[in-house]
Amino acid sequence: MAQEQLLALLHSVLNAVTLGAVVLDHERRVVLWNDWMTKHAGITPAQALGAEFFALFPALRGGRVDAAIGQALYNHFPSLLSQSLNKAPFPLYANAAVAAVATDLHDRLQQAVAVTPVDLAGAPRHCLIQISDVSIAVGREKLLREQTMVLRSQTFSDGLTGIANRRHFDVAMEREHRRARRHGTPLSLLMIDIDHFKAYNDHYGHQKGDGCLIQVAAALSAMLKRSADLMARYGGEEFAMILPDTDTAQAMQMAETIRARAQQLAIPHAHGGDAGVVTVSIGVATRHADAPIGIEGLIGAADRALYQAKRRGRNRVEV
Amino acid sequence: MVELSELENDALIEIFNIGVGQAAASMSALVNEEVRMSVPSISFINRTEAARLLGSRLASEADAPDRICGVSQHYEGAFDTDAILMFPEDKSLELVRLMVGETVPLQELTDMEQEAMCEIGNIILNACIGTLANVFQQELRGSLPEYHVGTSVEILGASGSEPDSVVLMLHIDFALDKHQILGYVAFVLDVSALHDLKEQINHYIARAMGQA
Repeated sequence: MAQEQLLALLHSVLNAVTLGAVVLDHERRVVLWNDWMTKHAGITPAQALGAEFFALFPALRGGRVDAAIGQALYNHFPSLLSQSLNKAPFPLYANAAVAAVATDLHDRLQQAVAVTPVDLAGAPRHCLIQISDVSIAVGREKLLREQTMVLRSQTFSDGLTGIANRRHFDVAMEREHRRARRHGTPLSLLMIDIDHFKAYNDHYGHQKGDGCLIQVAAALSAMLKRSADLMARYGGEEFAMILPDTDTAQAMQMAETIRARAQQLAIPHAHGGDAGVVTVSIGVATRHADAPIGIEGLIGAADRALYQAKRRGRNRVEV
Repeated sequence: MVELSELENDALIEIFNIGVGQAAASMSALVNEEVRMSVPSISFINRTEAARLLGSRLASEADAPDRICGVSQHYEGAFDTDAILMFPEDKSLELVRLMVGETVPLQELTDMEQEAMCEIGNIILNACIGTLANVFQQELRGSLPEYHVGTSVEILGASGSEPDSVVLMLHIDFALDKHQILGYVAFVLDVSALHDLKEQINHYIARAMGQA
């Protein structure tokens, strides 16, 4: 095959492949830009070719893609950027219609990126950036995870009340605490305890006691609206509520609403203090980014607040 | 076997600690949380010996006997080597889930998690070899990472090296939050690569002493 024909063929192949291919020269200028990139980035070859790479993608400067390009151009090392650890670094979309209405990273194509050094005779080293669309695989794994969660929920729920059990609480707390730490968002925890529950059991019997727990758990857990919120049976007549992205003021407000709701259930309790009905005491604690505390610290603080609520007369919220 | 003087041994440990320190910084930036890594010790052993050692050590920590996850990259230049980051399979699950921040535990790493594991290996191996290349003032070229699961014998032998190849074995101490995970990095070296490596270490020491 003649040299010219071969070049034309390679050019056609480059444009036919179903992944993004971009080649940068030693000064990080775009020297190759295939059709896949044009389609998903909405940047034409005319705009891309010759442009400084970070002028096209300014948000990538200083990040992992930048470091990977440096490794390839200057150290001769290839890098792999996985979808799980790098959430959709390039602003690439399924098509122009999606791009037009896109608001966050979830709207982008899920990407796996490889950056490899490319030697070119007579010129300083270039590098090739390959981007694969892994959206289908990501979707499949999300489904797998959700189904696994459904299967596991049986071992994650409390036998009596049907809400999350202690084990579920521990796993969720670990996850939400990590999220709060990484994103600098507040995380609140409510410890909720039914007042004079031993007296209730002694007076009405254990069957009625169980019924009271079921009714309170169902009513209070129904108040949680966001998917990341979790109410768990922490032990005996004690419940815990994990409220991500919730600061102290919002948590106090939530706790007060819960306290009122429990009283509103009007479950008769002859030995339940002044109200004559079942009530709850609530301890509130919040982890703030500027006062970071560990999981044990957060639970300890909520426990102490709960103890305070009990000591100050029950049927109240303390922080 | 290969004898390293105390000076050579210390120099290598120092170099690798700089490398994993850089890798830890990259990984911290990636997950927005402090990742710490160190190399407490290194040793030279032959490949068969290394496989036996890894098999027994890793298996005693894992439930399933001798299933290891490895991420390998081939490097060539100043010296040629297959570099492999290895963890017992259950530890690799823990590591990836900590890094990705996902808590749903499946039995094996999914495709996307394997890819994340490859990226972790890529960061650590490039940093180790990069630091070596840097202090040796030499260039090394690398391949893209590959993911393997199998016995220690299978993983160490995957590149087709001779069974009498020498393995430079690093113990890697990885810590994130309260979790601590121990793994290994093996550099498989044939006789001439080993010779090249020793020569480079001695050049480096001579330069370092000269400057002192």
